[in-house]
Amino acid sequence: MTATTRTLSATALVLALGSALSIAAVSTAHAADDNMEKCFGVAMKGKNDCAAGAGTTCAGTAKTDYQANAWKLVPKGTCTTTMSKTSPTGFGQLEAYKAKS
Amino acid sequence: MSTQAAFATALLDPQRPCPEGLFSANGADPASRFAVYRNNVQNSLINALADSYPVVSQLVGDEFFRAMAGLYVQRCPPQGPLINDYGKDFAEFIDRFEPAASVPYLADMARLERLRVQAYHAADAQPLRHEQIAAALSDPQALSELTVGFHPSLNLLTSAFAVISIWAAHQQDATLAGIELDHGQNALVLRNGLEVEVFAIDHGAGTFIQNLQNGQSLTQALETAPAFDLSQTLALLISHNVITHLHHNQVSP
Repeated sequence: MTATTRTLSATALVLALGSALSIAAVSTAHAADDNMEKCFGVAMKGKNDCAAGAGTTCAGTAKTDYQANAWKLVPKGTCTTTMSKTSPTGFGQLEAYKAKS
Repeated sequence: MSTQAAFATALLDPQRPCPEGLFSANGADPASRFAVYRNNVQNSLINALADSYPVVSQLVGDEFFRAMAGLYVQRCPPQGPLINDYGKDFAEFIDRFEPAASVPYLADMARLERLRVQAYHAADAQPLRHEQIAAALSDPQALSELTVGFHPSLNLLTSAFAVISIWAAHQQDATLAGIELDHGQNALVLRNGLEVEVFAIDHGAGTFIQNLQNGQSLTQALETAPAFDLSQTLALLISHNVITHLHHNQVSP
């Protein structure tokens, strides 16, 4: 790296960090204000009480019934409400699967 | 096969008969008691996976998820006693799980949800105060040679799919309408205080942060990263309290 680019990038870094600190100061000051949604937006957080994963307080207890393994391998979640450019219905790639079963 | 090994094997495979030599205290049929115990073992592990991968479960539906998780439990029983660690390689299992191939972003969703659980349980670390970071501005030459230490919860995920948008949609009404699924996204996962947060960041910003995490100096990290907004990226890291150290690079050229 030449001395010039080194100086340039050092200057750019100082400017960037300086402005980052002022942005961070503003966002911290307005942390409670939900309307402060710019550029990066607000963080996305999980709503689930179980968000800390298994073994945390809301983990369920095991069922005692014995269930046979009678299930079909056809995903039935929200996938089917998903837009798909390639699908004739405009929705999810699971339609073909469902048609087959 | 030892008695213990036979018992453990039968515990994981519902197709296997009750191990020989079992007795029940009240004279009940050992096979039916064993079936209940086996069911409890498998259900508790499947429940653990469902707790750690709630959006994966929503994406494929409960029935499919529990069936898939059940096969995982049989093939990958716990290797340690920490239940929140269980299922670390569930994403890799999903990658190879043929029936899930119709949901191509499922494995990456599992990766994102795993990073969130990891972030929850990552060690605490004291972030630098803004004044401490500002102090680095006084010496521009030294600044460019600085390396950055991040909070242990910080992690990145690069996906060929809109995995963050899909995840975010499932925190609300679970409709994916309007999301372009094959629009790749870069996720930044971190814990700010007690809250785990997920951000969609530019590819360049992701590369920059990854470079820093690999121990590169600020200048080095910038050199190989595609164009991105450096100020916004640094502001994001600062305001979410994940910068814990600024080190002077020991091996200067």
